[in-house]
This record gives sequence, C-alpha cells and structure tokens, in this order.
Amino acid sequence: MNKTVTVFLGPQHPGAPGNVSFKVVLDGEQVIDIDLIPGFLHRGFEKMMEYRRWDMDLVMSARICVEDPDHVELTYTHAVEQIFGIEPPEKAKYIRVIVAEFSRIASHLLWLMHFAGPIAARYAVGWAIAAREEVLKWFDYITGHRIYHHYIFPGGVRWNIPSDFKEKTLKVLKTIEPLVKDIEVGFFKHPVFQKRAMGLGRLKPTEAIRLGATGPTLRGSGICHDLRKTLGYDAYTELEFKIPRGEYGDAYDRAMIRINEIYESMNIIRQALEKMPMDGPYRWRLPMVMPEGEGIGRVESARGEFVAHIINYRGNQIGRRSLAPYRIKFRGPTMPLLTTILKYIVKNEDITIADLPVLIGSFDPCPPDIDR
Amino acid sequence: MVLKQLGLALKYLFRRPYTRMFPIKEEEYVTGRTRARHILYMDRCTGCTACQMACPADAIKMYYIEGDYPKNRRKIFPGIDYSRCTYCGLCVEACPVSALVMTSYTMQHLITDDKKTTLYTPEMLAKPPRGKHLVTLEKKTWTPPPAPLPKKR
Repeated sequence: MNKTVTVFLGPQHPGAPGNVSFKVVLDGEQVIDIDLIPGFLHRGFEKMMEYRRWDMDLVMSARICVEDPDHVELTYTHAVEQIFGIEPPEKAKYIRVIVAEFSRIASHLLWLMHFAGPIAARYAVGWAIAAREEVLKWFDYITGHRIYHHYIFPGGVRWNIPSDFKEKTLKVLKTIEPLVKDIEVGFFKHPVFQKRAMGLGRLKPTEAIRLGATGPTLRGSGICHDLRKTLGYDAYTELEFKIPRGEYGDAYDRAMIRINEIYESMNIIRQALEKMPMDGPYRWRLPMVMPEGEGIGRVESARGEFVAHIINYRGNQIGRRSLAPYRIKFRGPTMPLLTTILKYIVKNEDITIADLPVLIGSFDPCPPDIDR
Repeated sequence: MVLKQLGLALKYLFRRPYTRMFPIKEEEYVTGRTRARHILYMDRCTGCTACQMACPADAIKMYYIEGDYPKNRRKIFPGIDYSRCTYCGLCVEACPVSALVMTSYTMQHLITDDKKTTLYTPEMLAKPPRGKHLVTLEKKTWTPPPAPLPKKR
C-alpha cells in the first residue's frame, strides 16, 4: 500500500502566499515533493500591452507586481527611455531613487505580514502594517495613490515634488524607524522564531546561482550581487550604501537580509534627500510615437531582478497597434524561487508540513509576477 | 531569553490602537494629490476624443449631448464608467483644453450595490461632487518643460 498522500495547499488556504497553489506530496508529516500550480492570476498583461500606447502600458505594468509596483514601473521606464535614447533629468533620478526605496520598504513590511502571520506572531503583523500605513500615506501625498502610483514615468517623474517634501519624508522615516526596530527585537530576535527559521531551507551559493535565484535569496546565500551597485542606474552611483548578505543561506538569513535592507533603504533615502537638486526640470515631454528599436530595463526590485524587454517594430501594423510596441516581455524574480529552488530544498532536506509557511515565506514570493 | 520581547509587549499594551475609525469617527485620508472622481467642463470640451484614446482601461466612451456648445461642433462628450476606471489620470494629461480635471472626492463615495450606477454620463460628470473635495489634478499640475532633442543612440 502506498503511504504517500497528495495535498493541495492554496490558493484559498490562508497559509498560501497569495494566488498560487502547491501540490504537496506527504509521507506522514514529511514533505517529499512539491510542485507549483500557477495560473490563478493570469491577466494577460503582456498581450494587452501590445494593443496600447507606451504611456498607457505604464499603467498596466504597475499591476504586474502588486506589492512592489514602482520597481516594475522603473524597469519599464528604463526600457522605453532606451528606445527613445534619452536620459531623465538629474532631479528625476533622485526622486525615482526615493520612490523606489520607499516601495522596497513597503514591500518588505508587507512581506513581514505574510511571513509572521502563518507563524502566529500576530503582534509583528500589526506593527508591520502600522509602519506600512505611514509609507502608503507618504505615497498618497507624493503620487496621489496608495498602491498603484503611476509616478515614475518615461522621461522623468510625472509631477514635481511638493515644497515640503524633505521635511515630510524625514518625518515619515522618523515614524517608521522605531517600529522597524521593535519588529527586529520583538520578532526576528525572538527565540521561538530563531528556532523555527535557523538552519531551515539552506541554499548553497553555487546552487543559488545555478537555480536562478536573485535578490535577497541570492544575497542570503552569501553572494554580494545587487543591480543597484552593479549597473548603478539612476542616482545610485552617487549614493553610498552597503549590501546586506547572509552567511548560511537559511530562512533566517533571508529574513534578516530584508530587515537590514529596510535600514539601508532609509539610509539611501536620507542621502538622496540631501544630494537632490531642488531646482530644474523633473520630466521631459516625449512624443506620442515611440521610435523603432529595442530596449531592456533591469532593476533590483524588493524580490530580485526585474527585467523588461521591449521591441518596437511598427512594420505593417494597422489601427490601434500602430502606436503600440510590437512585443513586451517581463521577467519576474518569483518563478525560480517557487519552482526550482523550493523543489531543490524539499528534495535535499527534511522539511515537515509545519516548516512550509516559514520556508515559502522566506522567499517573499509575489504570485502576480509569476502569472502576469 | 524573552525579557526584551516581554518589555516590548508591555510597551505596546498601553499604546493607543493605530486603527482609524473610518467611516464612523474619522473621514477618509486624502491629500492634496489624491486622484479620484473627475469633473468635466462641458463649455471647454471640444470633443476631440483624446481622453478616450488615452484611457488604458477603456473606461471612457463618447456620448452625444443635445445643446448649444459652440466649441464642440459634433456635440460629443466623454462619459466614464467607474467600474473600469483605474484613476491613472492619463485622460487629464491627454486633454488639450483642460476640460477634464480630477478631484479628491474618493471612491469611498462611489460604493454602490447597483452596477448600472457606476456609469457617469457627461451631464453627471459636469456637476461637481456634493461633498468636500479639492481639485487635485489638472493640466497645469503636470505640464512638463519642452522636450529636449533625443540623443542619438
């Protein structure tokens, strides 16, 4: 008689990381195999973008990753600017850095909610959401919306910053910093969490590279790779910051990297506020018709490397498609995390069903960027 | 040891809850830039359909309205289906005569149990919202400086 049981985890399960499902093969409480079942959130954005103008596509692109929309806007913007052959104004570069780093902070705080909730650390969820609320209010103040901002735009940023921008931004940082410190002490340094996460889901550096990990998962394995340093896009070359990295490559290291990245993001924002020119243009007005060409945008998002590849070839396209790009392709960081890497860890380590929320949560998966 | 964590728990035990009591005690949080319900100035609209073409969600359709509109010979005006609108503001940017503006009158007031009421005809958009609101996005908010000549790649 076969002893194994197949269980479906998600997409309605509260412990599932969003709109994805997992097919888990169990022997008792031991997880033997795990398979990702994507497709619950497929909206066909890449195809829809082929029928819309480049400025309308930006509004679509933000919806590819709900938690961290500004980095998707940024990667799309870089690709479009490459096709137009322009550089954004100096002031816009700094504003982009500040908005992108706030987006990273908001994303990491939302991850904390998804991560601490299934481990039953409800207090950390409340503190994280309170801190995130301050960031969302800041987004409303600067961009006009809380979740999808549509603020980073090809040619710069969409609107100028308000006159009290510096004071307001510093005030938000001052409000969230003690909350993040409390989360670090109350949750990450808590012995119960340490016992659950330390030594779980170890990923060697060589395997992390081979299996396609990017972002905090790759850095958690000890590899110091960050596109903000490597490519130095926008104003990141002018700013000094450290790249947090782990030692053991386990779930605890991956989690600690995110909390350290929040501190680094705050440091980057403070530096950018000091160095940002307050005068000068914030946006170039671009023509409605995009020239023919090819552009690739690569940014370091909260989860890893986000890539947008746009080919604009008008050829004999007619009607609405004549103003739209020929093809757009996005690469999200989540797919390898939940397929190859998760399977590798489950196959090579003793994982129980109770470990799964900690293990999956430590990757910070974003199901919308799998399905697009 | 969990003494530090216990200390933190005590600290938060005597704090006020962060929750905002909306809509019982507090109003919704809006800023000077919150993008929400539009206002249409029918006397300015030329019926050029630029807003319709700029809408990524296909929420805008043009409606024929009888009346005396010297600037709008075809007498067509935009109507917005708020069940589709994403409040991106591209229609306001596209409007060459500043006939469409956005206000801070948020979606909280547009909540309905009848889907037919989400369609706002031009006449409905022309009336300013009844409640407190600011005009948050109009043509002059975003107008960027002249475009530079793109560098050759």
